[in-house]
Amino acid sequence: MSRESAGEIIARARGEGRKTLSEYEAKRVLEAYGIPVTREVLVHDEAEVPPATAKIGYPLVMKGCSADVAHKTEKGLIRVDVRTKMEALAAFREIKRDLGGHKGGVLVQEMIRGRRELVMGLTRDGQFGPCVMFGLGGIFTEILRDIVFRKAPLDRADAMAMMGEIRARAILDAVRGMEAADRERLADMLIQLGRIGIDLDSVAEIDLNPVILSGKDPVVVDALIVLS
Amino acid sequence: MKTDHDDPSGVAQRAEARSLGTDYERMFHPKRVAIAGVSPGGGVGYGTRYLLALQGMGFGGEIFPVNPKGGEIAGLKIYRSVDEIPGGLDLVVIAVVAEAVKPVLEAARQKGAAGAVVITSGFRELGTPEGIAREEEVRRIAGTGIRVIGPNCFGIYCPQSGLTFFPNPDLSRESGPVAFLSQSGGMASDFAMTGMWMGLRFSKVVSFGNGADLRETELLRYLGDDPETGVIAMYVEGVRDGEEFLDALKYASARKPVVILKGGLSSAGGRAVVSHTASLGGSRVIWESVIRQAGAVRVRDTQEMAQACLAFSLLPGRAYRGLSVAGGGGALGIAACDAAEACGLEIPPFKEEVRRQVEAMLPGSGASGVNPVDVANPFMPPEPLERIFSATARDERIDLQLMILLLHHIKAFAQDMGKTMEEAFSYRELADRMQGVVRRTGKPIVYVLPNPRRGVTDLDMVEYHAKARQAFLERGIPVFDEIGEAMRAIGHVHHRYGRGGAS
Repeated sequence: MSRESAGEIIARARGEGRKTLSEYEAKRVLEAYGIPVTREVLVHDEAEVPPATAKIGYPLVMKGCSADVAHKTEKGLIRVDVRTKMEALAAFREIKRDLGGHKGGVLVQEMIRGRRELVMGLTRDGQFGPCVMFGLGGIFTEILRDIVFRKAPLDRADAMAMMGEIRARAILDAVRGMEAADRERLADMLIQLGRIGIDLDSVAEIDLNPVILSGKDPVVVDALIVLS
Repeated sequence: MKTDHDDPSGVAQRAEARSLGTDYERMFHPKRVAIAGVSPGGGVGYGTRYLLALQGMGFGGEIFPVNPKGGEIAGLKIYRSVDEIPGGLDLVVIAVVAEAVKPVLEAARQKGAAGAVVITSGFRELGTPEGIAREEEVRRIAGTGIRVIGPNCFGIYCPQSGLTFFPNPDLSRESGPVAFLSQSGGMASDFAMTGMWMGLRFSKVVSFGNGADLRETELLRYLGDDPETGVIAMYVEGVRDGEEFLDALKYASARKPVVILKGGLSSAGGRAVVSHTASLGGSRVIWESVIRQAGAVRVRDTQEMAQACLAFSLLPGRAYRGLSVAGGGGALGIAACDAAEACGLEIPPFKEEVRRQVEAMLPGSGASGVNPVDVANPFMPPEPLERIFSATARDERIDLQLMILLLHHIKAFAQDMGKTMEEAFSYRELADRMQGVVRRTGKPIVYVLPNPRRGVTDLDMVEYHAKARQAFLERGIPVFDEIGEAMRAIGHVHHRYGRGGAS
């Protein structure tokens, strides 16, 4: 994927009058900027499910993937730990049903194992322009608000400082038998998020939540890109 | 630490190129100043009050009052126009009505003045088309070869040259390392006055009002390079250009401590946003992050700003992780430990040898030689205090020493002995001895001097404390009212120089 293709995805969505990208589209944009995302296949009908699950491998995750639906968990559009073909086909049918009239497919996604969830994001401040967020992810993001921002563009020192500023910074160390997070890789991701904010004016907001640490390696598991 | 070489955008070079054309020296240290808008008829308008303030400060340069009616004021000839003044001008202070500012500013430019201070209000702040148009005119003229402070401002206070704010005739003429920038004139004037009793000495204070021409970005860069300035404080409500502001803040912070008080912070408010990131990124959290990103110091109110400036001006610039604390009362020691922890500082236990030495110097019962040292009295005589602080400084884990003495108990004590308070306890002797300890050990001492007795029945105590404070400040020892305030200020210095994490 190239950066031009990221622009094309956004241009197409805007052409359709959409305000958000689907998770699948959002991850292609991230990929174009070298940000690590889950391996995944987007399927639209039942026949595509078996080859997709074969490619990703069990256990896996299946999600409704529509640009119209921003917060999937709250709408019951996620099945985790899918272990067999039977389960996969059943999950496909249920998700399709629950998507209702919304346009979209089903994402067959590798299941990332890791107990540490981080959040990254991008917002545009009226005074300072694109600002990158880093913090504690998952359901704790909004409860604990343990987050910090940096104005883009970020240099490596900015990205490293962000990791040192959250209250839960010890989560990035080697704790309870888990490896220390790859901070250089995390820094790359934050720098690149800032890059997206600089390059792509039509990207208004980004949520990468959660970014799960799989061992030491961060992977973007869910992504939302809001267009202006 | 970052330097200007990291500036990627070229903003620095552009602003620098502009600054090269600005004769700040003539603006802050003018020899010849015109004041346009004095009142010849005996009335005391803005111009006259400014003239009297300048004279009250003992400004050493020449002053040229201007009013079309001519005449005389405060022993000086009034010129009918700026052009009529013989010779050149360095600075023109403009206090005429808003409609008349434009021709006076134009005349000041033609006269070759380096700058003008426009005190007059009635510009952009009105929000009317006339006001905005008038301000555009000021900006346009400024672009043709004169730098403007204001309009709608109190001007420049520079103790060395004797320039002062409208309308302050009695600010200190003692110079020092603190510079302060503020949109608000009231804030600038109040800060200069607070500094007088708190022990701040200023290099330059600028109230830039509407900031039609010179404002936060350029002034930050100028002060960053100004050899007379050692610490920059700034009150900011909004900035014209966030990008340029961050670059300027980085530039100045790379050179000296910059303390920022942001006014008008609020949470995200009514923005319609979809993502969690945007809803979490309200103006408050973004501002806090930007200040950190620049390496500047964030404070929450004017008191904290003044206290941080005091610590930055009197403490040598380095990290101070380990503190010794000695003073009266166990609870104060506990309060010190709590405050230290909250500020990322430590009060480590003394090594055995130091603890034994200290205990040998203390009265027997109730005293403790661990850190914090409890002298079991509200205060003790200067001589044993000197010995204690000399001993505790020998512990290599100690970077700075905090002294807490409760001098408000001296009143009853002095009455019992039939002495004056000064005779009963000489703060001068203590200040001398402590200055000696600092010189010999190389470790700064900070004095916490609380005074719970401040009412009308205790004005003698208020006076005694004010004089005690002054005695210590004169010897370079910072004084704070409360333990928590002292710790917070020391913490700012520690984090600024030690990069010890978020403060």
